[in-house]
Order: sequence, then C-alpha cells, then structure tokens
Amino acid sequence: MKTKITFYRNKIGITQEDLGKLVGVTRQTIISLEQGKYNPSLELASKITKALKRKYIEEVFKV
Amino acid sequence: MKKQNKNIPPREIARYAFAIFVILLGLYFDYLDLSDSFLGFSSVGSWLVYVGFVMIAAITLQLFYYNKRVVDERMIFVANKAMRMTFLALVVFAFLIIVLDGIKTTTITIPYHLFMSYLICGLMIVYFISYKILLRFY
Repeated sequence: MKTKITFYRNKIGITQEDLGKLVGVTRQTIISLEQGKYNPSLELASKITKALKRKYIEEVFKV
Repeated sequence: MKKQNKNIPPREIARYAFAIFVILLGLYFDYLDLSDSFLGFSSVGSWLVYVGFVMIAAITLQLFYYNKRVVDERMIFVANKAMRMTFLALVVFAFLIIVLDGIKTTTITIPYHLFMSYLICGLMIVYFISYKILLRFY
C-alpha cells in the first residue's frame, strides 16, 4: 500500500519515534508503514491520519 | 514531567498471589509426602516450590524491565503468522516422521518424555525463528 506518511510527517516536523508514540506503535512499525510493507488496520490508519493533522484517511493511504 | 505510578498493577498482584499459592501447594505436597504417588512424578512438592520461586523472580524482573514495552498490531499480526507457520511445520514434520516410520523396517521408538521435550523445544525454536524472519518482511 502506498502511503504519504513520510511527506506529511516531514511537513509537520515530527520524527518516526514521535509519530509512533502519538499513535501507540513502535518506530519499526512506522518504518514498515512508510515503506509500504505493512497494511495497517482501519483503527491505526485513522489514528495516523489524525496525528498527521489530515481530515481523510485517503489523503495519507492510497490503495 | 509526568508523575510515575509506583503501585503494583492488579494483574501482577494476581500473578504474585498465584506464585505464592503454588509454593504453598508445594509445601503441602511435601508435608503429605506425595513423592512417588502423585501421577508418577517424584518430589512434585519440591518442584512446585521451585516453580513458584521462579515465577516470583520472573514477575519481579518483568515489573522492573518490561513494563514500558509496546506491543502493537504489527507484532500481533507477525506473531499470528509465525504461529500458523509453526503449526504448518509441525504437520509437515509429523507427515515426514510417518513416512520415515513406514519406510524403515524397524519402528521408531523413543521414550514419551523425551519425545515431548524434543517436540516442545522444536516448536519453540521454529516459532522464534519464523517470528524473527517475518519481522523483516512486515
């Protein structure tokens, strides 16, 4: 799955570690999501979207 | 700065209580001298006392070192996948043993306790290795 996590994360200026703490996952999981290796659950995708200050999940995750 | 909660969590209190119960049960079994009559296990009371102390040590260590560990959905996903792989490995291994046993003229004989020890250790090793490998792919 393609994601724009890196783009929006850099835009608001937070690290992978910070984003991980915000949504309650490890840094390795954020890396995995950014590389498109792991497909998150709807709950995690929603949390990440909120943490990245976006309105819609589709803005961050693209199927 | 956040104030740290130094109270012992209720789950750990229950685990401590269970460990103490195991020790007391062990002492009671030793007192009753059930040694050879308890399902064929010798000195079961002493073993229960030993297991109880190991449990207390493990709970105390976890309280100090593992309380900040994060278990997220990716780890659970990988753990489930590793469990499925371990089960598949067990089925394949059992099939191979059956075939080997059929091919061989003499039957494979192994004491039950040894067989179970090998099986459990083997399953744990397969699970651990597959978990570590799968973590790289997800």
